[in-house]
Amino acid sequence: MRVLVSWLRDLVDVPVAIDRLAADLHMRGFEVASIEPWHGGEVDDAVIDLEITANRPDCLSVAGIAREVSVLYDVPLRLPRPPASPDRAPALPITIEAPALCPRYVGALAEVSVGTSPAWLVNRLAAAGIRAINTIVDVTNYVLVELGHPLHAFDFEKLAGGELRIRLARAGESVTTLDGQRRTLDPQMLVIADRDHAQAVAGIMGGHGSEVSLGTRVIALESAYFQPQSVRRTSKRLGLSTEASYRFERGADPDAPLRALLRTCQLLEQLGAGRLRPGVADVQPSTLEPRVVSLRPARVGVVTGLHVGPGAVDPAEFERILVGLGFAVDATGKEVWQVTVPTWRVDVTREVDLIEEIARSVGYDRLPSTFPALHAPPAPPDPRLERQRVARDVAVGAGFAECVTFSFVERRAALAFADEADLVQLANPLSEQFAVMRPSLLPGLVDVVSHNRRRERRDVRLFEIGARFTVRGGETRGLALVWTGAASPQHWSGTGRQADLFDLAGVSSALGERFGVDLVCDPADIPYLVSGRAAHLIMKRNGAADQSGTPETDATVVGVIGQLVASVAEARELPANEAVLVAEIDLDRLGADIDANPVVRVEPLPRHPSVVRDLSMLVAADLPAASVRGTIRSVAPPTLAEVQEFDRYQGRGIPEGFVSLSVRLTFRAADRTLTDTEVQDAVDALVAALADRHAARLR
Amino acid sequence: MVDAAAIARLRAAYSDELARAATAADVQALRDRYLGRKQGAVTALWREIAHASPEARPELGRLANDLKTHIDTTLSERRAALAPSKPSTPRLDLTLPARALARGSRHPLSALLERIEHIFARMGYEILDGPEAEDEYHNFEALNMPPEHPARDMQDTLYLAHPLATRSSHLATLLRTHTSPMQIRYMETAQRPVRIIAPGRVYRRDNLDVTHTPMFHQVEGLVVGEGITMGDLKSTLIGFLRQLFGEDRPVTFRPSFFPYTEPSADIFLGCTCRGAGCGVCKQTGWLEVLGSGMVHPAVFEAVGYDPERYTGFAFGAGIERLAMLLHGIDDIRLFYENDMRFLEQFPS
Ligand SMILES: [Zn+2]
Repeated sequence: MRVLVSWLRDLVDVPVAIDRLAADLHMRGFEVASIEPWHGGEVDDAVIDLEITANRPDCLSVAGIAREVSVLYDVPLRLPRPPASPDRAPALPITIEAPALCPRYVGALAEVSVGTSPAWLVNRLAAAGIRAINTIVDVTNYVLVELGHPLHAFDFEKLAGGELRIRLARAGESVTTLDGQRRTLDPQMLVIADRDHAQAVAGIMGGHGSEVSLGTRVIALESAYFQPQSVRRTSKRLGLSTEASYRFERGADPDAPLRALLRTCQLLEQLGAGRLRPGVADVQPSTLEPRVVSLRPARVGVVTGLHVGPGAVDPAEFERILVGLGFAVDATGKEVWQVTVPTWRVDVTREVDLIEEIARSVGYDRLPSTFPALHAPPAPPDPRLERQRVARDVAVGAGFAECVTFSFVERRAALAFADEADLVQLANPLSEQFAVMRPSLLPGLVDVVSHNRRRERRDVRLFEIGARFTVRGGETRGLALVWTGAASPQHWSGTGRQADLFDLAGVSSALGERFGVDLVCDPADIPYLVSGRAAHLIMKRNGAADQSGTPETDATVVGVIGQLVASVAEARELPANEAVLVAEIDLDRLGADIDANPVVRVEPLPRHPSVVRDLSMLVAADLPAASVRGTIRSVAPPTLAEVQEFDRYQGRGIPEGFVSLSVRLTFRAADRTLTDTEVQDAVDALVAALADRHAARLR
Repeated sequence: MVDAAAIARLRAAYSDELARAATAADVQALRDRYLGRKQGAVTALWREIAHASPEARPELGRLANDLKTHIDTTLSERRAALAPSKPSTPRLDLTLPARALARGSRHPLSALLERIEHIFARMGYEILDGPEAEDEYHNFEALNMPPEHPARDMQDTLYLAHPLATRSSHLATLLRTHTSPMQIRYMETAQRPVRIIAPGRVYRRDNLDVTHTPMFHQVEGLVVGEGITMGDLKSTLIGFLRQLFGEDRPVTFRPSFFPYTEPSADIFLGCTCRGAGCGVCKQTGWLEVLGSGMVHPAVFEAVGYDPERYTGFAFGAGIERLAMLLHGIDDIRLFYENDMRFLEQFPS
């Protein structure tokens, strides 16, 4: 709302300088977007551009701001008082066919001679940001800015039948609006029509057919109140928003139409541009009862913290504020006041709205500062947040940089990671780039790798924690890791090597460890990962992994790990010949019923020495190490404390299709020193089992 | 007669001779000449001091002792320097760069969120988590925003093409436009005083530019109890902002409008230009950092709280905005580009 200060001064005395006025209005809730010096007439004039919040349509006018100023400085308000029109039979026949959408319609005729407006009027409209057109349009716009009430003028001689009908549009009906657009209407839209055709979209824009022109001799003036929701719906449907619709949809003053129309006629006469034909029609299918709201002055203190009463803030100040803003206050009941809400205050419906008016006028900076007492201990943090925090710590600790990417991605990028049917689509996406919700964190991270690779960054370690969305899984929280390039930061000693999947699995293992579970790889076929370099990550309770021979049973799949297939990498502009290693873990599943901060129970340190035996064996090259380990575990006595693979060799001296696998076995008992014989017996038993089950030969 | 000057002359003579000592033998001769048990010059000095006056004796004794220590150390050093060097461990050029640890980094948005969570946790707040795909009721209706409410324009919403069944067993139809739905869900079950913050991602149908992204982060807070006032809101949020931005920053409150609070206040932080006016504060000297207000009775009614018994305050802030102010970032898109040259400026 652009307010010309000299115009404001017509309606209220402003006892302070312009900068101060702007600052004070700001503190009353009218954000100052700008202060612009204005050289239209008076010296020391300016336009203050105020942001008016959606709840205050009454302040979309100079009069509304003047009312605020009058309370602000406790100075009288001088609103224009146009003379009443003599009581005659209405000169303009008006029929309201949709009374629910048009509770009031004031109409009149005026003889006019259309010309150009005087400089002072053109200047004031320009200050408000409105271009002058002709006297008639300019005067209605002037009243719009001054009083905040939208009016419309029709060329009366172009209205068929010389009448106005306020009705719903007919199916297939259309109207060419003043902006020259032909608009097709639907039967929920309210129009102002003559006998035959729609001549205006009610409360939004007039029609081209009855537009006022230089030749117009008689105008039909409209000043009405339209139901806000109806204007809003029509405005949205037509994609047409105007100064008028903006006000009507937020709520105009149902008491303003007659006053605004008389003010328009007063100005027309003053300019010598027109004369009202006696007989103003004021059609009100129903009368609006003023709203009365109870206010307990003590409640002002309960909400704001102000101390109300003797020796503190006097409730009389509340009364002055409310009366100044146009409320009628009946304070005869000391504890409970009856406050009548002025018709223009559509936002005030309950006691707390009155309290806000008071708090705003008293000034927030005058409210006391207190600290709320704590009556109960706070609950522990949400376990999901704790799990995220732990996951983040592990990833950062492993040298990964955290990313935040958009939750929506391109359909093509998502399809590499999920089926079409599983994609969650947006109904109104911003663009193709953001068309579907990400089914995985990986498409976003892969794009970040690509972004950084294009900026000459070869070694990239990234992670993200966030929500993923699929039709089958709903919304889940995950952690994704991406690693490409060197295993460790470059060094002049040249000891670097490329990262491989065992490096990445080290990170997922560390994560499992922090949660007190084992995360182990179970080779699997996953469409977006290179065959033979892909696995499910399986969660096992600590300890369980070592006992169980087969990793798949009683375990939960919580994620995937592997090397991204070249086609996906290339599609996102990554070089095909460089391995992009990825892992994604479902943090909801990983942590579903486990503690992010498990309590450690200490095991006693061993008091007896351990015995170590190394075994090197030839096994089939495609035999998973987990099977060998499983067999050893299943046969060995409980004294086998640890199994550790320490070498794997293929090449010279090893037959084709075989591999030499070396494991170190550590035996220990808590209560005694083991004898050589018992260790040897155990080793013999498990060598026999390995030979039997896997045809393993000792080397 | 021995005096301080004589000791000083002896010291000077020694220094000259030391400078000329070029071999281990020279050093040994020097030791004999000064510290020798019979003819040593310092040894002789001690004998003379024994005959000095009782008043002068302590001072002279101290000087003689200093000289002996000086000679002892310097001779040892010289001898070590002249000693033939033993076969040594190969020298390392320690001016070469170290082997760098792989250093991870925390995204500035999550780092700031965590910091904010800590500040509120210290004030006794519980930290909530909740779904990003929401239903109309929790995102709008329960917050005093019925379908035709004009305030819905303020938050242009992204809708899902089909309702989504979620693990938290609601049917999601949209992406939450603020984190308030978490607070509604919390109050629906809590039915008692609350002191919570709800951090997380939110979505609005905004095109990408230097200050807008279709997804951003928010933290919202809610305190409900008997006797909670706007005064409590003021000191809580002043305290929060000062912990984040520094104790010397001014804070002011201005009336505003939100459908779910009444009265409502925007909270402004004094700009680093200290009121002089700059580009960041658009010449106003103030930065808008938080929205807040007293919980609207209609919101209490929606979640079954008695608005006569309970009052409360709510607040919310955009994390990107706070992070931009804290770190001097002028383009919001930097947060989402994830350029490592940007990310690595926030080491952990
Ligand atoms: Zn500034």
